[in-house]
Formats: sequence, C-alpha cells, structure tokens
Amino acid sequence: MSSRLQRRKWWSHLLTVLSGLCVAIVLVPLVSVIYTAARIGGPALSLSFLTSNPPEACTPSPGITCAVGGIGPAIQGTVIVVGVAAAIAVPIGLAAAIFAAEYPTRWLGRAISFTADVLTGLPSIIAGVFIYLLLVIYDPAIVFSVISGALALSVIMIPIVTRTTELSLRTVPQELREAALALGIPKWRTTLQIVVATALPGVLTGTLLAVMRAAGEAAPLLFTLFGSRLGFEGFNRPAQALPLLIYNFAESGAENWRELAWGASLILILMILVTSVLSRLVIARMVRRMRGS
Amino acid sequence: MRCVGLTAGRSRGSGGGDSPIPAVTDSEAGTTGTAPSLRRSPGRRPIPDLLFFGLVTLGAVVLLVLIFSIVIILASQSELSFRTYGLGYLVGTRWIVPTSASPFQVYGAVPFIVGTLLTSGIALLLGLPLALGSAIFVATQAPNFLRGTLGTAVELLAAIPSVVYGFWGIYVVVPLMRTTVDPALKQYLGWTGAFGGPVTGDGVLTSGIILAIMIVPTISAVSRETLFAVPASQREAALSLGATSWETTRIASLPYARIGIFGAIVLGLGRALGETMAVTMTIGNRDAIPTSLLSQGQTISSLIANELTSNSGPLQYSAVVEAGLILLLISLLVNVAARLLLWRVSGGRRVVLAQ
Amino acid sequence: MSTPAPTSPPSDAIVRQKSRTGVYVAVAIVIVLVLVVAGFSAGWFKGSSPGGGSPGVCQPPSGTYIEGAGSSLVFPLMYQWETVYGGGTAVNYASVGSSSGITDISAKTVAYGASDAPLDAAQRQTATGLLTIPESAGGVVPIYNLPGVGALDFNGTVLANIYLGTITQWNDPALVALNPKASLPDQPIQVVWRSDGSGTSFIWTSYLSLESPTWAQNVGKGTEVNWPVGTGQAKNAGVSAYVGETPYTIGYVDLNYALTDAIQYGSVENPSGTFVLANVTNTATALTDAHLTLPTAGGDWYNVSALNSPGSGDYPITSLTYVLVYQNLSGAYGSSMGMTDAQGLVDFLYWAVTTGQSYSTQLFYVPLPAYIVTADEASIGSITYNGASVPNSCGASV
Repeated sequence: MSSRLQRRKWWSHLLTVLSGLCVAIVLVPLVSVIYTAARIGGPALSLSFLTSNPPEACTPSPGITCAVGGIGPAIQGTVIVVGVAAAIAVPIGLAAAIFAAEYPTRWLGRAISFTADVLTGLPSIIAGVFIYLLLVIYDPAIVFSVISGALALSVIMIPIVTRTTELSLRTVPQELREAALALGIPKWRTTLQIVVATALPGVLTGTLLAVMRAAGEAAPLLFTLFGSRLGFEGFNRPAQALPLLIYNFAESGAENWRELAWGASLILILMILVTSVLSRLVIARMVRRMRGS
Repeated sequence: MRCVGLTAGRSRGSGGGDSPIPAVTDSEAGTTGTAPSLRRSPGRRPIPDLLFFGLVTLGAVVLLVLIFSIVIILASQSELSFRTYGLGYLVGTRWIVPTSASPFQVYGAVPFIVGTLLTSGIALLLGLPLALGSAIFVATQAPNFLRGTLGTAVELLAAIPSVVYGFWGIYVVVPLMRTTVDPALKQYLGWTGAFGGPVTGDGVLTSGIILAIMIVPTISAVSRETLFAVPASQREAALSLGATSWETTRIASLPYARIGIFGAIVLGLGRALGETMAVTMTIGNRDAIPTSLLSQGQTISSLIANELTSNSGPLQYSAVVEAGLILLLISLLVNVAARLLLWRVSGGRRVVLAQ
Repeated sequence: MSTPAPTSPPSDAIVRQKSRTGVYVAVAIVIVLVLVVAGFSAGWFKGSSPGGGSPGVCQPPSGTYIEGAGSSLVFPLMYQWETVYGGGTAVNYASVGSSSGITDISAKTVAYGASDAPLDAAQRQTATGLLTIPESAGGVVPIYNLPGVGALDFNGTVLANIYLGTITQWNDPALVALNPKASLPDQPIQVVWRSDGSGTSFIWTSYLSLESPTWAQNVGKGTEVNWPVGTGQAKNAGVSAYVGETPYTIGYVDLNYALTDAIQYGSVENPSGTFVLANVTNTATALTDAHLTLPTAGGDWYNVSALNSPGSGDYPITSLTYVLVYQNLSGAYGSSMGMTDAQGLVDFLYWAVTTGQSYSTQLFYVPLPAYIVTADEASIGSITYNGASVPNSCGASV
C-alpha cells in the first residue's frame, strides 16, 4: 500500500504547488500594474505635480519641450465630489440600516436588507446613466456638475454603507438594547449612543469601503461630472476627478498627457491604499479601546 | 411600575413603543422618583422617538425608492425602442445606425449580450481556478506567517480602480496579446475555429483576461472566508484518518464551503457583467456579434459608455438605454441569486443574531 | 424592575458615552470641513496663461462661466483659447467628440457645442434654433505603416477602394501606378477607422463619397458609418497608436494631430492633379479657393464643403469646423444661462473668430478667411437674450 500512499502524497504536494502557483500568477498583474504606473508616472511626481494645473498637450520632439504640469484640480475634485457623495450617502445609508436592524419585524426592514444587498451589484455605469437621465429632465444645466457627479457616486455608496452598517448593528448583543431600554433610555438614544456606538468600528469600515470604492469609479462620472481643466468652481459647475482624468488623458495623443495619467493612477492607487491601511489601524485601535484592553 | 422591555416575546424587536421606567439619569425625574412620563398613557411613544423613527423610515424609503426609480427611468427612456421592436429587441442581431447614404437603422441587443456573456464567461473560466486555487492555498496550505500577507496581497488587486486596469491593459496587455499571445493562439489552436480573423491585440479575449484579473479578489476573498469558517474539527477528523493535506481539503473543507464558494462565483459573475471602464478601453468597440475570440466586440456597458451621447437619433438613444435596462435586470437577477445562495449558508447564523 | 447590568464587555460603551459622541462630532466635522474647503478652494486652480497675455481688450464680464463640448479635432485650439481668454476661468471645453457635442447642445446640457460635422436634417429638427458658426478649419490626412517605405501618394479613388475593400493588397496595380518608385510589399492592407462618433470620420467619409459613387451609395458620409472592412480604434490616439505599432495598416487622423505628434502621412491628389502633402498653407489656400457659399447661420450647412477646392496647390481634404449655439440664449442652458453668461458667450465667440484666429497657425489650424469672419460676426450679432440683441461688448473686433 505504500505506493498508493506515495501517490496520494505526491498528488497532494502537486496540488499544493499548483495552488501556490495560482497565488503567484494572480500577483503578477498586481506587480505589473504598480510597476508600470511607477515607471511612467513616477518621474513626474513632485509637490508641484499635486498642486498644479494640467499642462498643454504636447509630445516632446527636437525643439519642443513639454511642460509637466500637474493634477491639482483632479485631486481637489475627487476630494470634494467624494466628500459630497459621502455627505449624502452616509446619513441615508445609516438611516436605512438602522431601520433594518432595529425595527426588523416590519416587512420593510427585510426588504431594505435585501434591496441593499442586491443594489451593491449595480453596474456603476447605470448609476451614472440614471442620474444623467434624471437631470436632463429636471434641469439640463446641472447635468454636468459636481452635484450631479456626487449624486451618481452616492447611488453606488448608499447600498454599501447600508449593508455593512446593518451587519455591524446586528452584531451588537440584544441584551445591550434591552438593558438600556430597561434603564429608561429612550429608543432613539439607545440606538444612537449605545448600539451604533458599539458597532462603530464596523460602521466606519463600511463607510470607508464605500468611500474608497467611490474614489476609484470613473463610469458614473462619464455623463455627470464632465471633467474640467479648472479646479472647483461651484457645486453646479463641472469639475475634474482623478479616475475621470485618467480616462480622458489615457488615450490622448500627447505624450505628456499620458504620463500625467500614469502619475494620476499612481496617486489614486496610493490614496486608496493609504486610506485602507490607515483605516484598518485606526479601527483596530478603536476596537481595542472598546474592549477595554 | 411596569416592567417592560425585558420579557422575551414582547420587547424583541418591537421598536420603541414601550413607555420607559423613569431612569435614574433622567433629569426630568426630580428627586421624588415619580416621573411625569408615568402619567402618560401606556403605549404612546414620546415625540423624539417618533421623530427618530420617522427619520429612519425616510432613509429606508429612499433606498427602496432608489431602486424603483432607476428601473422606472430607464424603462421610460427606452420606451421608443420597446414600442418599435418589442421583445424582438432581445433577439435582434444587427445594430446599424443611420447614415446619410442609408437612413436605414435597426437595433438589436444580441451583439452586446453575446459580448457581455463572452467576456464574463472568459473571465470566470480564467479567474475561477486562479481565485479558488489562491483561496485554498491561503486558507489551508500557507504557513501561518504568510497567510495574512498573501491574503492582503490578493485583496490589493481589488484596490486598483477599473480605469487603471484599462489603462494598464492598453499599455501592457494589448501589445502583448497582439505580438505574442494571439498569433500563438492562431497558430496552435486555430484548428478549433475560435481564433479566426485579424489580430488587433484588443478584443473579446483581451478584455476577458483583464476582467478575470479583476474578479479574482472578489471570488477569492469570499471563498477564503468560507473556507476559514469550516470548523477545525472537520479537518482534524480527516487528518486523523490519515488523509493527505489536499485530501483533507477535498473531503472536509470543500463540501462545507461549497455553497459559499458557489455564491462567491455568482458574485464575481455579477461584478464582471457590470464592469465598464477596463472593458471599454480594451474591447475594440465593434457593434457586431464577435465571430471569434480574437474579434473586437462590445458589451452592454461599453456600448453605453461609447454611444449614449453619440446622437444618431432618438431611436438609437432609446435602444442604448434599453440595453442598459437589460443589463440592470441581468445584474440584479444574478445578484439576487448570489445573495440567496449566501444567505442560505449563513441563514442559520443570521436568525440568531437578529433576534 | 432592575435587571443586573449586562456583563458583556461593551458595557463600557455606556460609561464611555462622551468619547462616542466625540467620534460623531469628529465625523460631522470632517464632512463639514470638506464642504468648507470646497468653498474656499473654489477658484484655486485658475487657468494659467501659457501663451502669455491675451491680445486685444475683449474680456468677459466677471463671473462668466461657459461650458462647451464636442469636436476633438478643434480641441487643442479650444484649449489654447480657453486658457488665454478672460484670465482662463471663463470657458471650459470638453473634448467628447463631435457627435456627443451635438447631443449635449441639443439637450442643452452645455452652453455651446463644437462639431466638424454640420447638423443633418434630423438633428436640425430635434434641436431647433441652433446657429452654425464656423470657428476654424483643418485637414484630415492618411497615415500608414509600411516598413522601409517612405512617402506615398494616394488619390481619392484608391483610398475609397481601399476602404471599400476592393483594393486588398499593398502592391495592387493602382497603388503601384501612383508610386512607381516605392517598393510596395505583397501584403494585405489592414484598414483602420474611428470607432467613436467623430467629425474627422465625417470629413473623411465625405471626401470618399465625393471621390467614389460606390462609396456614396453604399456607405455614405457621417460621423459613424457602417464601414465595409477594417477595424475600429477610438480617437486619433487610438488610430495613430495602432497604425504606428502594426505594419501594413492604413488609417486617417487630423492634420494638426499628425503634425503635433510627428506622424508620417501620405500625399493626396487634388482635382488639379497635384499630389499635395498637407500643411497649414495648402489647407488655408484650399479654404480660400473653395469660395464657399455660406448659408445663413440658422440654415442647412450639411452640404457646405471645402473638399476638392479648385486651386492648383490646394489640399483636397480640408474642412471647416463649427460652433453650435442657440440663437435665443434665454433658457438655452437650463436655469444657468443668465445675462452675464450670455454676454460672456457672445464676447467669447467674437473674440474666437477674430483675435483667436491668431493662434491657429502655430497649432496647425487654418485661420478663417476674411469673408467667413464677416459672416460669423453677422451670425453672432443675431444672438438674442430675452428678446434683446446681445451686442459685442468688445466693440469693433481688434
């Protein structure tokens, strides 16, 4: 029987190696993307890159040097549009999640849960098309504006916030609520100051997940934000955002614009990574403090 | 004084309808302990609670209104196309826009449904084994010190925005396909008939490959969680019976995790169906049914990105919106299926937590 | 009535109420901060003036903000204009392609559209009241990738046949006859066209329709057509990148694009029999020699064409490019077209067709000949707001 055992062991080793190979293969594109971004966009990075306007389109050739310029308006635009989207999405998502978690016997609560789950799979371009169609009817002048882009992003964010918040709220033990109510604390204070407070790490994780997702989306902004050379000029004016800038400049003929787009890609990836790492650290600290360690 | 809020049946999830016993911390109570609230008739909610309930309900209603309005607006703007073609739109195989030489126009969704299904199918075909292999490796085989790092590394794939994947696709993948992979496929696998046509580097296969990379973190993360959730006792039992490590995984972990993994796959499919930017930048944007894997094609989302504002008349506009409606319905269906599957896995746990 | 306090660890939460409230306040502050930063930073990134100070005295009223969208052919020139005009903050133009530009102006989601393709009958019916105002002109050139082969000559018939698919090999007798000294390879021609709705495609297909009755009948002209053969690439960049990297391909791009990026392109035979390699001079003479009869601004411009102009040195594939703007600006941009913006738009248009033309040559565009400028000024002069005409606040053109 030892040959059979040998065969089984060999088979097991083979499959371990194969699955390890899977991991290695999967990591190749990751390395390639970051390497490409660093190679082409890296040299352009500097403080002025982060604060200047985009340059004129040009391709270097004998006698022509190209300005480097920067992505200042795009960074500003991303922060503002995502910020406004969060300001819209977080209260709505929180409210819906509280409804689903704290008043769950109502059929509406279950419907909310299910709807939020399903909406997280909404194709992001449909979110943009929805807002575009809506605003074309309502007021064509703000179809291309910060508020329009923020609305489109919030359509993406609301289900994520709702779903993760609801899951976190559900992990809070029921005894906590009952004890609070028994002590006479009104339902609204119980919910906000005890239940949500206890579930805060999860709620914040969900919010940050939604923010990071929205920061990287270009499809909802195609028909709503318009893109702009200038920075923020008002909520009813168009603006630029990093993913949209990358899309606009990626297929440009001008070499300096393509390098700009890679620099912007690098910055965008860094922003998302840093937010992810920082948020994990901060939330872990919060959880530790709450556990009273 | 009534003791409320403590009994099992009544208080559980019944909302804020119980009049509170005056709390020691309640400033209204004064020193004597008899609170004004006692004089309220039982069952009436205090105003702040009602207000809170109202606000919270508003948020819930907004969410429901959102999904309905999306469907309604898309449906209303695709009315012209629906009236013109009816259900025939779903089987229409041609997409011809009017030009000055021929004002003839006909629209049908089949080229884009095929494009969407092909790219998503390729993505699943290529991404699924990679994702499962990675999940199995990280969950069962990797040494402990590597587990967290590898898991995080795979999740980093999800942190890269779609438009960056598309950009990278244009710079790295398309030239690679055009110069190396596509000609090789034509040469060695051309006999299958699936690799005919000119080699352009972009096309259905290329976007399928990039999509595969993008859905790996989705499938892998959920599969990994499901595999982790397998009780250690199962694996220990298999090991104690003399199973090798792979056999342990096969016998003990996978059956347990099967439904969850399936749900993860459907989730990944849902993501692939709706993906726009990376596909638009690498699929070639040709409005016809792809005749080979190397053909350029068009998915529904790339169709919308390219042609929503291309102004070829109101019929074309409503046809594009109708395609979007179809995409919406397909994605919603796929996601509903995925959630139902995943809910089944954790259904038991969910109920305990909620009540 | 009293239950023992819950013993699970999170009971600390009640004791730590204050810090929890602090977190809520912090989150609220962050959100408010974003909005405040937005308010303060509005206008931080004002357009710079890479071209130096703006010549002429025309400046828009302060607070003007105009959005335009459309043609990518004219984008580099528009970009130059918008960074120079009015301190760089008055105009914002998005290069989304001629077709999308027409959609946007028809839907009134922008203040003006720009398109290389004039409105066809259906589009004029959808968006009534639009004025067509040529603001610049450019050429379209054929590009190709033939290793070891230098400059090539083409004529319209051959180009049409290549794009129809009736000429399939590079060493086809028709091509050899045009280029006897070139060693054309025995390779199939890979045809490339613009997959997005493009004014450049409109110009190219208009030229092919002129040169080939078969093309005119079977394919026709338009921003999007049903191309008989070949593959599509998006934007000038896509076409040029693809042609640049793939041997034996042929495509077409805007002249200013080819010159800016130093791409090799071929000569095209004009009606006088000369093979012309396009440049700013011979496209300019083409425009003048075309002696265009311009319709009224609100009329039908679909058949206005500077193609195949009669001059002996003219480049045959030259075309105007147009700004589309509503004649009556009240309500022409949802609620956002106020009197200031209307005034600003009119001033910008005057400036663009007069002073702005001085930027054309350096960017490889054709400056408008005097008779077109005069017609434009009259068209712009017909723009009204709330029933009253909007005069050029710059006075006479500088």
